[in-house]
Amino acid sequence: MLDRNAIAFVAMVLAVSSASVADAWAWDDTLYPDLKGQWRVIGGPMRFDPGKPWGPGQEAPLTPEYQAIFEANLKAQAVGGQGTTPTYTCLSPGMPRVTNGYGQIEFVVTPDTTHVLVQHIHDDRRIFTDGRTWPANVEPSFLGYSIGKWVDSDRDGRYDQLEVETRHFKGPRAFDSSGIPLHNDNQTVVKERIFLDKSDRDLLHNQVTVTDNALTRPWTVSKRYRREPDRQPFWREVNCAENNNHVEIGKENYMLSADGLLMPTRKDQPAPDLRYFVQSKK
Amino acid sequence: MLHPSTITRSLAFASMAVGAALAVALAATTAQAFDETKYPDWSGQWRRPPGVSIQWDPTKPLGRGQQAPLTAEYQALFEASLADQAQGGQGEDARFTCIPPGMPRIMTIVWPAELVILPKVTYVNFENHMPRRIYTDGRSFPTDEEPSLMGYSIGQWLDTDGDGRYDTLEVETRNLKGPRTFETTGLPMHKDNKTIVKERITLDKSNPDILLDEITTIDNALTRPWTVIKKYRRYRDFIWVENNCAEGNAHVGIGKENYMLSADGLLMPARKNQAPPDLRFFQQR
Repeated sequence: MLDRNAIAFVAMVLAVSSASVADAWAWDDTLYPDLKGQWRVIGGPMRFDPGKPWGPGQEAPLTPEYQAIFEANLKAQAVGGQGTTPTYTCLSPGMPRVTNGYGQIEFVVTPDTTHVLVQHIHDDRRIFTDGRTWPANVEPSFLGYSIGKWVDSDRDGRYDQLEVETRHFKGPRAFDSSGIPLHNDNQTVVKERIFLDKSDRDLLHNQVTVTDNALTRPWTVSKRYRREPDRQPFWREVNCAENNNHVEIGKENYMLSADGLLMPTRKDQPAPDLRYFVQSKK
Repeated sequence: MLHPSTITRSLAFASMAVGAALAVALAATTAQAFDETKYPDWSGQWRRPPGVSIQWDPTKPLGRGQQAPLTAEYQALFEASLADQAQGGQGEDARFTCIPPGMPRIMTIVWPAELVILPKVTYVNFENHMPRRIYTDGRSFPTDEEPSLMGYSIGQWLDTDGDGRYDTLEVETRNLKGPRTFETTGLPMHKDNKTIVKERITLDKSNPDILLDEITTIDNALTRPWTVIKKYRRYRDFIWVENNCAEGNAHVGIGKENYMLSADGLLMPARKNQAPPDLRFFQQR
C-alpha cells in the first residue's frame, strides 16, 4: 500500500508535468471537430430554405404587412427591378442570408473565435467563443455580432456542436435573392446549431432559426454543406464590384451594356436626371 | 522518519509515476496537433501607426515623393494618372468602384487587419476585403490556377535566432491579375501582372506591439526590386467594424468614365466639362 509521502511525490510529479504540458500546449485543437477544408452548400445558394422552391415556394411565415412587401417586391423583380434585395450594388447580404452558401466557405476554428470565411465581397464572420457577453454598445452591421458556445453533446470529451446567437443588425437585408424581407426594425435574432453529420464527416449541418418581427413565428431551416475532397482547394476570389453591370443612381437601378453604356432595367424607365452636367443644359 | 523499505517502494513508485507522467506528456504531444507556442504571438488588431498615411513607402510622401523606380514608360503613365486625378478623374487607380487593392497595396492596411496563425495557413483578415491565405504547408505554386488581385501566397516560418520558436514569416506571392497600383495616386504596376511580392514579417525586437513587414516588389514597371518596410501597431483592446465599400459609395463608373452622386442622388460630373453619359438606350431623354 502506498504511503502518503509517495502519493504526495506522485502528485507533485503529475502536477509539474501537467503544468508544463498546459504551458507548452496552449490549446488542443483535437478538442474541436475537424471543420477544415472548403465547404459548398447543398441545394443551391439562391434559397433560404434549400428544401423548398425559390420565392413564394419558400412559404416564409411572413406577417400580412411583410407578405405584402414581399409580393410587391416580386412584381418589381418581374419587370426588371431589384425589389427588396439590395445586394446588386455589392452590399454584403448579411445574416442570415450569408448561411445560404453563395460562396465557398471555410471555418477557421481557434479557441476564442471561429472565423467563417466566405469567398464573396467581404462576408467573413467572427463567432466569438471566448465566453464574452453581449457588449453594451455595438455598431449594427449586416453580419451582426455573433457569440458562440462549443458543446460536447455526446459527452465524449470532444466538442461536436457550435451553438451561435447573432444580434445587432442593420439593414437592408433579405433572406434570399427573391427578396423575402426581414423587418426594417432590424431586431433580428439568428440562432444556429452547426455540427458534422455523425455518419458522414464531410457533411456539415447548420440548423438556422430566425426570429424577426417580419415573421409570425421563428423560422427554422436546415442547411447542409459538403466538404470538397481536395484538401488544397482552389479559393476563388469573388469581387462583386469587378465587372458589376448594375448601376444605382439615386433610387433607380440601371444596367451597363457590353460596350459600357447605361441602359434601362425595365420598360419605359426614365433616364437619369443630368441637370448637373453643363452640356445637358444646352 | 521513513522506513528504508518504504523509501525504496516510494522511489520505485515515483520512477513509475515519472514514467507515467512522461507518457501522459508524450500522449499529449501526439494528441495535440497544434503547438501555438512555436509561433510568435501576432494576436490582436493591427493598424497603421499614428501619423502614417496611405502611401506605399511610409517614409516618403504620396505620389512623386515616393520616388518609385519606374521605367520611363510607366513613369509617363504615372504622370498621366496624376494629371487626370488633378482634373477630378481617377487616373490609374481603380479602387473607386470598390474592387480590392490587391497585392501588395492591401498590406498598407488602410483599415485594421488580423493575423490568424495555424500550422498550415496564416490568414490575414481585413476589415473590408476577403482574407489572404499564406500557405505554410510546404506546397509549391500551382501551375494553372486562376490569377487574382490578392495572388497566391506561400510562406515559410523561420527561427532566425535559434531559440526554438519561429519568429519570422517569409512569404512569396505570385499569380496576380490587375488592375493594381501601389497607392491611391495611381502609382502603376505593369499590365503584364508578372508581379512577384516577397515579404518578411516579424515583430520588432524592441517592441512586440510593432509588426514589421519588409516588402519587396519585383515588377516589370520597375527598373529594380523596390523594398519598403511597413510598420503596424498592435491594439489589444479593439472592436471590429463592418466595412462595406459599396455602402454609400458616391463614385459611379459608367463605361470608362467615373462620375459622382450628389447628396440628393443625382449624377454629377467628376471633372470640369465632363460629358454626361450616353443615354441612347433610353426612350425618354
